Parts: sequence; structure tokens; C-alpha cells
Amino acid sequence: MADVGVDVLVVGAGPSGLNAAYYAGFRGLSVAVLDALPEAGGQITALYPEKMIFDIAGFPAVRGKDLVENLVNQAAPFEPKYLLGEQAIGYSDRGDDVLVTCTSGLTVEAKAVIVTGGIGTFNPRPLPGGEVFEGNGLEYIVPTYVPYAGKDVVVVGGGDSAVDWALGLEGVAASVTLVHRRDEFRAHAHSVKLLKDSSITVITPVSPVSVNGDGTVASLTVRDVKTKESREIPCHALVAALGFTADISPLEAWGLATQDRHILVDTTMATNLPRVFAAGDITEYPGKVRLISVGFGEAATAVNNAATVIDPEATVFPGHSTEGAQA
Amino acid sequence: MTYVITSSCVDIKDMSCIEECPVDCIYEGDRKLYIQPKECIDCGACEPVCPVDAIYPDRTLPTEKVVDKEDNRVFFYDVLPGKDEALGSPGGSMKTGPIEADTPRTLELPPNPDAD
Ligand SMILES: Cc1cc2nc3c(=O)[nH]c(=O)nc-3n(C[C@H](O)[C@H](O)[C@H](O)COP(=O)(O)OP(=O)(O)OC[C@H]3O[C@@H](n4cnc5c(N)ncnc54)[C@H](O)[C@@H]3O)c2cc1C
Repeated sequence: MADVGVDVLVVGAGPSGLNAAYYAGFRGLSVAVLDALPEAGGQITALYPEKMIFDIAGFPAVRGKDLVENLVNQAAPFEPKYLLGEQAIGYSDRGDDVLVTCTSGLTVEAKAVIVTGGIGTFNPRPLPGGEVFEGNGLEYIVPTYVPYAGKDVVVVGGGDSAVDWALGLEGVAASVTLVHRRDEFRAHAHSVKLLKDSSITVITPVSPVSVNGDGTVASLTVRDVKTKESREIPCHALVAALGFTADISPLEAWGLATQDRHILVDTTMATNLPRVFAAGDITEYPGKVRLISVGFGEAATAVNNAATVIDPEATVFPGHSTEGAQA
Repeated sequence: MTYVITSSCVDIKDMSCIEECPVDCIYEGDRKLYIQPKECIDCGACEPVCPVDAIYPDRTLPTEKVVDKEDNRVFFYDVLPGKDEALGSPGGSMKTGPIEADTPRTLELPPNPDAD
């Protein structure tokens, strides 16, 4: 028995995946949505939650994070099961259904899978030389400030995460030092102003050279980008907020037919694997356009065609939403 | 559609853009950095962090820099001097590390006076 059993498993909670969840629910299918990130929204949440989007049909202008919230709300009546912080790495075809396994060991059985993996799983960009200290004083995300109480903390990075975490740690940690390779921070102007008025020690323009310590972090060595001079900053804890990189390889390992790291689909959004469909940025076919509105359409096509694989008696056309009462 | 690194990057190679790129599509040549046009997702994160303003979207390249677009393509799809095969689309510069080559055009450019 798998840990989770559903009609449709959606891999990737970006805009395409969230719309697939809605459509699966609308078709009366039970659905789970899996994403490696701790939050839904895909690229929008990871890269541009505050930007305004102007090309979503029906919305003259919509803020990224509001679009994500609306998509989640639209699917909510059908109670999709969200499996967040889970990376799908394994696939096996069992004839009547498929089994998908995750890095954590979680298993999901589904009658159809819709892969809406976009540009792949987002992982924090590793701090060079930091591998051995991961979990021993080096962290890439800060879900809570409590473990940092009374410690000397160094935060590396210049974006919103770095600045927000440094500000959040101020007052909790014994001291906070923020290091960045440029003099300018690309975080929100408001956050940068708060930073200037804070007690946080800001060191720029420096890049990290090495993490030092015997088993646990004891200091960070940084080099001045201009003068090339190195200095060592003693610390108990290190937070590297160097952004994210996307990796498609966990999905390629399934045996999906790909071209330049995109999944080849036919006009029904079916892939080469039984019961596996794809939609959104991850698909490839002649004339493909990578936009949210295109992903929405593909998600609808994928789910409605998957419905006929799940139940051969079912029709591809779902009926008009205007006809039925919502769940 | 993609971003392009122009020749202002030659001999500078600040590398800030590489840290920003969420898809790791900026590759390090000997004298300059290059963007893999098929891997670029057009997010624009690299453009503002370049200290020498070398990065442009290919749609708004100033006329005298249009050649740089072709040069970025050449870096990946032609066989570079000293190499046996074209780089293609390796799927991330963290995997490849520095490429240790340049396009013929970059090799011929004079030393950048702005470099130290
Ligand atoms: C800065 C920027 C601005 C943009 N502006 C616009 C715009 O104005 N209009 C527009 O239409 N488009 C815009 N786009 C493009 C748009 O964001 C994408 O087309 C859209 O996000 C694609 O949605 P998706 O759901 O297909 O994939 P994504 O949003 O990429 O989501 C894929 C999700 O799948 C997850 N995932 C992948 N593999 C796995 C796995 N193995 N296990 C678990 N989870 C996995 C990832 O973690 C990710 O959350 C912009 C993009 C950027 C970066």
C-alpha cells in the first residue's frame, strides 16, 4: 500500500499544476499536488511574487502572489491533498496505476500523473565549500528564528530572503552580520532602509571563500572583491541565501522522452509513458510558447484526456462549468 | 527570446550574474561569460546585477551590439577554437565548470581598458 492513493497526482504546484488540480476536482477525480518547494506557486512564488502580471486573460493586472492565491482558492472546494516539500524522483508503471516515490520515501499511487514540473525542482544554490557543514551550523532556509537565539550569525546574500532573514534575526541572535558581493542590495527598498537603520553589521563587496570549523561552523572567510584582501568572520551559525537553481534531472530519470530538458507531448498532452501527461513550461512540441496562459490551457487538455484513461467510459469534454453547481 | 552578454564583459567576468541565474545558464569562457540561449528562461535577474551593464534582452539590443547575440549562439553551437565538439545545451554551468575557451570574435577583441 502506498502512503497516498488518488485518481490524479499532479507533480509541480506552479500555475499549471494548480489549474490541473482544479480541473481534476471539477471532473470528480480525487487529486494530490506535490511540490519540492514548501509553498505553492512555482516560478511565481520563487522568483517574482510581488511583480504585476498583465497577460492573464480576464485579469487586466494581477500581482503574482494574488494569482497563486486565487488558483489555490479555485481548487480548494475539491480538497486537493498538498504534498509540499516533497521531490518526486521515482516512477513505476503497475498496469492499472502508477507508483511515484519521493526523496523522503513517501509513495503515491495514482491512476494518472500530470507532470507540471516547469523548469524543474528549485534547490537553494549551495555555498562553495559548505557541503560538510550543512546541518552543522550552515542553513539555506530559515523557517524559524528560535534556534539562533544568543548566537553570532552571518547571513550571505543580497536578495529579499537574505535581508529579511537578517532583519528577523536581529534581536534574537547575539549578533547579525550580512555579507554580500556587491555594495547594492536588490531586496525591497523598504527592507534595505530597515537594514541601514538596524544594528546589523553589513560587509560588502565581499565573496565567501571558505567555511571554517571542526565539524561545526566556527567562522567564514570572505575576500574583498576589489582589494582581494581576505578576512575571517567568527560565527556560530551561517545562513546562505544565494537564490535558487532549478534541476530537471529527477524527472528525466523517470524515462520520459525529452528534448533539451523539456518533455515531448502529443496534442492530448500525453507523454511516452503510460498514464503520464504533462502541461505547462515543461512541455515541448513545435510552436510551443512558455507562458502561464498556455500552461492553463494545457493543464485542462491534460486532465480531461487523463480522465478518459482513468475511466474509458468518460468523455474528453468535461461539460461547461456554467452548467454544474460547484462542489 | 533570451538575454545576451555583450563584449563589455570581456576581461571583467564579475560573475554576479552567475549567482543570480535561477537556471544556471550562464557559462564561463576564458575572457567573458556567455548565456545559453535555449536554457535562458528570460527572467531578467542577471541584468541589474552586472557592474558593467553588459547584459541586455535580445529584443532591445543596441544596434552596435546585435553581433553579441550571434556570438552567444556561436559559443554553444559552433566548435570553439581548441575544442573537439560544440558545447550544446549542457543543462547548467555548475555541472560543466569553466569552459576554458572563447568564440573567435571574443579572442580577437583588444584588452578591455576597464579591467584591472
Ligand atoms: C521573472 C519572471 C517573469 C515572468 N512573467 C510572466 C508573465 O508576465 N506572463 C506569463 O505568462 N509568464 C511569465 N513568466 C513565466 C511563467 O512564470 C511560467 O510560464 C510559469 O510559471 C510556468 O508554470 P508551470 O506551472 O508550468 O511551472 P513552474 O511555475 O516552473 O512550476 C513548476 C513546479 O514544479 C516543481 N517541480 C518540478 N519538478 C519536481 C519534482 N520532481 N518533484 C516535485 N516538484 C517538482 C517545482 O518546484 C515548481 O514549483 C515569468 C517568469 C519569470 C521567471
